[in-house]
Amino acid sequence: MIVDSPFTIDNSPIKIIYQLFNANNMIQCKTSKAISGMGHSMKRKEDARFLHGKGNFVDDIKLPGMLYMDIVRSPYAYAKIKSINIEEAMKVPGVAAVVTGKDLEKYGLHWMPTLMSDTQMVLPTDTVMYQSQEVAAVIATSRYAARDGREAVKVEYEPMKPVIDPYKSLEPGAPVLRTDKPGKKDNHIWHWQAGDKEKTEKVFAEADVVVKQQMYIPRIHVVSIETCGCVADYHKVNNHLTMYMTTQAPHAIRTVIALVAGHVGLTEEKIRVISPDIGGGFGGKVPVYPGYVIAIAVSFLTGAPVKWIEDRSENLQADSFARDYHITAEMAGTKDGKIQATRFKILADHGYTDAAANPSKFPVGLFSVGTGSYDYDTAFMEADAVYTNKPPGGVAYRCSFRVTEAVQAIERITDIFAKKVGKDPAQLRMENFIKKEDFPWKSPTGWIYDSGDYHAGLKKVMDVVGYDALRKEQAEKRARGELMGIGLSTFTEIVGAGPSKDFDILGIKMFDSAEIRVHPTGKAIARFGTKSQGQGHETTYAQIVAEVLGIPAENIQVEEGDTDTAPYGLGTYASRSTPTAGAAAAVAAKKLVDKARKIAAYLLEVSEDDLEWEPGKFWVKGAPEKTKTIQEIVFAAYTNHPQGMEAGFEATHYYDPPNLTFPSGAYICIVDIDKETGGIHVRRFVAIDDCGHIINPMIVQGQVHGGLTQGIAPAMYEELIYDDDGNILNGTLMDYLVPTAVESPKWETGHTVTPSPHHPIGAKGVGESPTVGAPPAIANAIIDALSPYGITHLDIPITPFKVWKALKEKGAI
Amino acid sequence: MTTSINKSFHVDHPVDQVWNNLTDPNKIVLCVPGAHLTEQVDENNYKGGVELKFGPVKAKYDGVITFVERDAMGKKMVLNGKGNDSKGKGNAEMTMSGQLTEKDGGTDVNVTMEINVSGMLAQFGSRLINDVSNQVFDQFVSNFKAQLSGGEVDSTLSAGSLVGGVIKGIFGKK
Repeated sequence: MIVDSPFTIDNSPIKIIYQLFNANNMIQCKTSKAISGMGHSMKRKEDARFLHGKGNFVDDIKLPGMLYMDIVRSPYAYAKIKSINIEEAMKVPGVAAVVTGKDLEKYGLHWMPTLMSDTQMVLPTDTVMYQSQEVAAVIATSRYAARDGREAVKVEYEPMKPVIDPYKSLEPGAPVLRTDKPGKKDNHIWHWQAGDKEKTEKVFAEADVVVKQQMYIPRIHVVSIETCGCVADYHKVNNHLTMYMTTQAPHAIRTVIALVAGHVGLTEEKIRVISPDIGGGFGGKVPVYPGYVIAIAVSFLTGAPVKWIEDRSENLQADSFARDYHITAEMAGTKDGKIQATRFKILADHGYTDAAANPSKFPVGLFSVGTGSYDYDTAFMEADAVYTNKPPGGVAYRCSFRVTEAVQAIERITDIFAKKVGKDPAQLRMENFIKKEDFPWKSPTGWIYDSGDYHAGLKKVMDVVGYDALRKEQAEKRARGELMGIGLSTFTEIVGAGPSKDFDILGIKMFDSAEIRVHPTGKAIARFGTKSQGQGHETTYAQIVAEVLGIPAENIQVEEGDTDTAPYGLGTYASRSTPTAGAAAAVAAKKLVDKARKIAAYLLEVSEDDLEWEPGKFWVKGAPEKTKTIQEIVFAAYTNHPQGMEAGFEATHYYDPPNLTFPSGAYICIVDIDKETGGIHVRRFVAIDDCGHIINPMIVQGQVHGGLTQGIAPAMYEELIYDDDGNILNGTLMDYLVPTAVESPKWETGHTVTPSPHHPIGAKGVGESPTVGAPPAIANAIIDALSPYGITHLDIPITPFKVWKALKEKGAI
Repeated sequence: MTTSINKSFHVDHPVDQVWNNLTDPNKIVLCVPGAHLTEQVDENNYKGGVELKFGPVKAKYDGVITFVERDAMGKKMVLNGKGNDSKGKGNAEMTMSGQLTEKDGGTDVNVTMEINVSGMLAQFGSRLINDVSNQVFDQFVSNFKAQLSGGEVDSTLSAGSLVGGVIKGIFGKK
């Protein structure tokens, strides 16, 4: 249910923001450029150091006496380890030690929990479960020596026949993979369901039209520019660990380390996790990888700092994958195109262990938002997860926990339904959208959509592309036998996890935090429980504080990622930073405005009620010359504060969101396809996003550009491919195709603004919308182009070969 | 992953001479780049190894070579070799079938190689594996021809030329 915004006090600065923004859909700035609050395209504060090559990433950290670690990995997907011979490796100059699973077993550190409460080997003692799994670690005085040592470790394996196909994994008689789990008799992990099964069956049985499509959302990888790594620095004398690591959630990681290593004396106050600059996370830097744990164990045993940095292939082959859902999607409706019900059945391939990174109570993440942007009240969804001999994972790759999979399913099946009832896909969507006035709206799976104006978004994008003219052009081209397609995606996202009632990770509630300290001269430092990986937090958070408090964003230093200094929070992923920590910043700043009012009243010798406020200053009603600026007020808080009032000027807030936020978007993609070669040319791509109030338009645009490029990636290029023996066939970037500037079309972006009614600044989050919304727009455009030949579906990535083959099969060429 | 290559070529030598070379382990193994024999176990089984170096990746397979079939009448032979990389980077198995047919006083040779690799080499991806296998096969054919004519056999595998050849092959494709 919707809980009212905590901002009910009249005269609240938050209310003022609302009124200004709601006046119309344009971005209006309430603050001057000098203050640069919300709505200003302020240049990113962090860029200066990145552009000068002065960023500080994990691999830049060098400590005296530091050792280097490299990891021996399994060539087999499933094999018994007969022996590990380290003799030759120990002869390599510089090699100090080789650590195996048997070594870690002595300390009880050879297993660790996953974020989904499954278990995972740190290093194996007898069996390897996927190709590229960690088998042993070589510790040396230089990185080169560690790599040479790795080459010299001899491991004798006895290969076994792996289980690769998730459907075969569930068949009776399939070999049971997790023999480490006592009593485990199959490869099934969990079953999940949502919605009303019986009601859905009834609607389906009675519907005029039912469409059904099997689709595969392939296994892909986040491929962040920076791979994963760490420097573990344990001091024996102080019994203190400093862990520099590539993590999106430093606080949660500290707690996990304390839980795993508490029994050897590493308790939480003795652990400091520092997440320095991060070169892209996208969900891949949420999980705990064995490499981190081994580095900690080795530093703990040797007392020396240990650095571990993955190479590109290790990152691609062994780190958490994303997606890998096999979905059967069904839609029922009337013959004139009214959607009545949907049904989704999922088979989730989790690889060796469930190492996804979802909130605890949501094994399929927020897939259940997949009923879409359409007004109907009946749905049923179910999922089963299985183990296979593939790397573990299932991370939320730039999407709020499986929303990409959900949106692909609903937006594809909506197009298939439109085709079946003979309606234009844009018209069908317009007729089925939830109406603006029906928000807050309860979805068939129980979510309360906070706000939205789907008709406005779709109308805007149709106007920008000139939809009717395009359909006319398409008809003419079709008459000449040419292939042109127009694809739509009108999606609803669900971000900002999340309300503590439902959302936790390993029991820790998914609030987030902000702490603002204003120094006597009126400049501030603000610290957060989140962690930017390129999102621009140092700028946007400063702008939020500036908006509320009126201190120029330029004078607000934002700091994140150090568990010794930042307030506790669950980190940055799932577009949650603005909805949670951004909100916390606004509330904390509001607490400071309340304190400033008291000081201003004292200084101006009037009652608090006689004061007027605009960000940056108070003045006496009717006497604007009697003014105190925020800087004067802050100085007084340290030099001349009212007796009885606490000195200083600081505030902290832990924000527990009352609901999630529901950004939306309307995207149109236009493709031209070369019939003879299957070559696909994306002619235009227009994305209209609605993320509520926009904090920094330039940063939002940058986020959307990046997200769209990571949306075209799985739609047309990326898929991790395994053969029957579990060998990855594209384990390097030579074969795994990441789109570059060459493949990326010119992204055209725009927005509508429908503020979130429950968020303090009406913002919704935008980082992931384009990744979620782009793939179905592209797929729908390609299928639309091919539809004259009876082609109704192709699984992503849709490559020229797939197109050519489909056309060949249909006799079109 | 499995890769299969089939090639036919003609040599001017009489079929019996070609058959003798093809079925003599000491001669045929010499034609396979990087391969060597270490020990004869019995009439049909031998121990040996193959060393391969593709750019940065070195693999050394120690294993067993077996004549599965040597049909002197039908001039058909099947040779199987399998081995594990000595450092645990994976395994490889190759089955080579040869069929000889007399033609114009010379011999038509038809050879099929089925190669199955796991581990490090498989990670190259099918594209590179195919090209590398083709290169190895071409070198085998030219060695085999040279040997029949009494010429020099180059059994070393040049990493530079191999990778260079593959890259040329990839970019030269039409």
